[in-house]
Amino acid sequence: MSTDFPSLFRSEEMSLVQLYIPSEVSHDTVSELAELGNFQFKDLNPTVTAFQRPFTPRLRRLAEMSRRLRLFQSQIVALQPPLGIPPLAAIPPFTTVGPRAQNAYDELDDKLKEHERRLAEMNRSWEDLGKRKSELEEKRWVLRETAGFFNEAEHRHTEIRTSFDDGDDRAGLLEHAAEYGTLPGETGLSGFDLEFVSGTIERTRMPTFERILWRVLRGNLYMNYSEIEEPFVDPTSGKETYKDVFIIFAHGSELLGKIRKVAESMGGTLYTIDSSQDKRADALREVSARLEDVDSVLYNMGQTRRVELGKIADGLESWKDAVGREEEIYKTLNLLSYDQSRKTLVAEGWVPSRDITAIQLSLRRAMETAGTSVPAILSELRTHQTPPTFHRTSVFTEAFQTIIDSYGIATYQEVNPGLFTVITFPFLFAVMFGDIGHGIIAFLSALAMILYEKKLLKTKLNEIIETFFFGRYIIVLMGLFSIFTGFMYNDIFSKPLSLWTSGWDWPENPVGTVDASSNGYTYPFGLDPVWPEADNSLIFTNSLKMKMSIVLGVIHMSFAIFLQVPNHIHFKKPLNIYAEFIPQILFMWSIFGYLVICIIYKWSVDWSQSSTSPPGLLNMLIYMFLSPGSVDPASQLYAGQGFVQVILLLIALVCVPWMLCLKPYVLYKEHQKIVGQGYSGLTGHENGNGHGRVSTSNDLEEEEEGAGQPVAEHTDDEHPFEMGDIIIHQVIHTIEFCLGCISNTASYLRLWALSLAHAQLSEVLYTMTIEKAFLFEGNGVVHTIFLVIMFAMWFSLTIFVLCIMEGLSAFLHALRLHWVEANGKHYMAGGYAFTPLSFAHIGEDEEA
Amino acid sequence: MGFSHVVWVAIVIIAIVVVGWVVTPRGKNQTLIRTSIALALTCCYLMWAITYLAQLHPLIRPRRGNLRVEAD
Repeated sequence: MSTDFPSLFRSEEMSLVQLYIPSEVSHDTVSELAELGNFQFKDLNPTVTAFQRPFTPRLRRLAEMSRRLRLFQSQIVALQPPLGIPPLAAIPPFTTVGPRAQNAYDELDDKLKEHERRLAEMNRSWEDLGKRKSELEEKRWVLRETAGFFNEAEHRHTEIRTSFDDGDDRAGLLEHAAEYGTLPGETGLSGFDLEFVSGTIERTRMPTFERILWRVLRGNLYMNYSEIEEPFVDPTSGKETYKDVFIIFAHGSELLGKIRKVAESMGGTLYTIDSSQDKRADALREVSARLEDVDSVLYNMGQTRRVELGKIADGLESWKDAVGREEEIYKTLNLLSYDQSRKTLVAEGWVPSRDITAIQLSLRRAMETAGTSVPAILSELRTHQTPPTFHRTSVFTEAFQTIIDSYGIATYQEVNPGLFTVITFPFLFAVMFGDIGHGIIAFLSALAMILYEKKLLKTKLNEIIETFFFGRYIIVLMGLFSIFTGFMYNDIFSKPLSLWTSGWDWPENPVGTVDASSNGYTYPFGLDPVWPEADNSLIFTNSLKMKMSIVLGVIHMSFAIFLQVPNHIHFKKPLNIYAEFIPQILFMWSIFGYLVICIIYKWSVDWSQSSTSPPGLLNMLIYMFLSPGSVDPASQLYAGQGFVQVILLLIALVCVPWMLCLKPYVLYKEHQKIVGQGYSGLTGHENGNGHGRVSTSNDLEEEEEGAGQPVAEHTDDEHPFEMGDIIIHQVIHTIEFCLGCISNTASYLRLWALSLAHAQLSEVLYTMTIEKAFLFEGNGVVHTIFLVIMFAMWFSLTIFVLCIMEGLSAFLHALRLHWVEANGKHYMAGGYAFTPLSFAHIGEDEEA
Repeated sequence: MGFSHVVWVAIVIIAIVVVGWVVTPRGKNQTLIRTSIALALTCCYLMWAITYLAQLHPLIRPRRGNLRVEAD
């Protein structure tokens, strides 16, 4: 494998580097590195808490700035009619680097503060005015509504009076009452006066309010209310509330006091109005005039606020971006260690070894931007810490690598199954999904997503479509392979294609049940089209698909076992090749490989010419274990079968102790040798678990010399030699492999089951919809309508059930076959991902 | 005979894989392209070969009772 170019086969070779950054270029250097996006900074002050770090005050200011920006954004978004925020690309960028950057940020901070202050002021007066406005409106309603009550009451009052005046002796009673002053207005000219309380209250509280008053005043009240149709909108929260106007007549200041208290405690607002009609009319006029004033002031204020927010909106995106960058930079600067005496910062981190030149160039660039003459100095450190795993993916491979990464991040420099997943995943999917028609649908939809990739990347998609969009290259390959497997299964929307001459002829004049006769051809590409229309097609396709899944499964698993070899060679562990890989592959092939060979052999024999009948392979495999050495001549596959099977069985049996004992024994021997030489302390590297790059302490001291900086150099945890651990590990590994061989081979039968289910489902769908329409007997118009409806139904069900649902299930099964059956054979997945500092993700997390 | 076809096609496929391996231009996608060509051809070949072999000497014949469609 060439190492000139990065490939997915192994993760990138990483180097631990140290940077000495003069403090005046530190900001720009970090910014430049983040722009490049391939430097993973290590925390050099793990013991220092977040509060004690040098740049925490600066970060707090930035956090405050980004809070302000979020506040502005929420207000701009809430504005009606909406105000557009120009995108980042449309506005001049904010200077984030260079000697002027600090001032620019300080100015921005002041500017934001000022904007916030002005906005807050405007919002406050806006709120006050809004409150005033709603109060005035309520009052207007109260005045309007109560006018009705008064008229009514007055009318009734005069009625009462006239009846009294007309009447008998008892009329005097009321007049006496008037003399006592319980009806204060009685003596006035208005001719009507009762004491009352009026106001508004929320509609939902009205019944409670009424009941409480009734109880408190023991019924000594006359209450009237009416509903206000328009809702009141709260100026701050924008919540709508419906209110009622009420007016309560009662007498006695005590009672009135009680009413007021009850009304206030229930959240009602009281408005004093006069009982005389003229005064009420005046008040109404006044209120209306004031409302108009308030409205015009509110309108003007809304306009100024809009202008202010518009000004903010113009710069918002670039400020957000700049503040986001600045935050990232200072967070990173906090990770560095600071040398007080020399005014330099020391950074340490992982970089891909391939990119060191690019990084050095960017350091130089940063120096130029900062306008100084001292660049940061990069030096490579030697270490035996495990570097992070970094796979350079492209748009195409990204999704495939994600499939593997969600199982586990590869161990550093391990063979990466992601490279092979690119083909094997869509292929195994297609084995289950095989149908030309469905394949074309999947292919075209993914192709459309790829062609409109740029446009789709810009628009915000919903989550489900986003998922499909992310997997577009997987789907495109899945579609292509499905078209191929569709040809193999000879299935296009559950119908066969007759592209070549069939190998079978139906008899000329068929009567009843007939058999086709072979004409000597073998259908060259895929399944003979005669089978789908035969009654016994399932017997044939089941046998074919079952054997196909076994053959493909055994080959896929063997391939996965073979992938161990480059790992063992790369990590210089030859012991694993002959103590693990060889017995594993022998075990696999002496049982299941033998089965595969038998399947192929059985196919290649013309059993009609043979003296024996074709044997059942499943029984053959079972009796290979139950009665080794003896094969019933009637069901013999080939001569000497008994002997071969005994040999194979012995090989498989030998492989078990081979896997179990050889590795622990050899490790033990080596350990003894080392102990015998007196180097018990160094066993960590010698026992086969050591990492590829080992440095001596002398090298490290040389690196550090002159720097005077502590370098976080954790020695890798060197386990002491534990024979027990090794044995237990090996026992588990062996048992897992041997049992796994059997269960995993059986697991590949899902290929058969799923493809069978898919074919059957699509056939059933076809017979239940379109075929019904074809066979329908009726007049032309009805027939056509029926056909159209049935076609629409068939088509939508094909898309949703057969393509999407069945596709998802086949996807999950293909996923499982890769994770469990294949990855389990070789993939160690013990690494950690490379997470370089980058500006690429700014603005993404806030939407989450 | 039938079985030889499978072998001949295998040889052709291997030849294509070798040619693909050789002509893949150097670059950062070289490994990906080489592996993909080899794997894709192998997978498709396997599937074709299995389907072809299974029909070489069939053990059962297609059987049909419903003769309506055959009328034309």
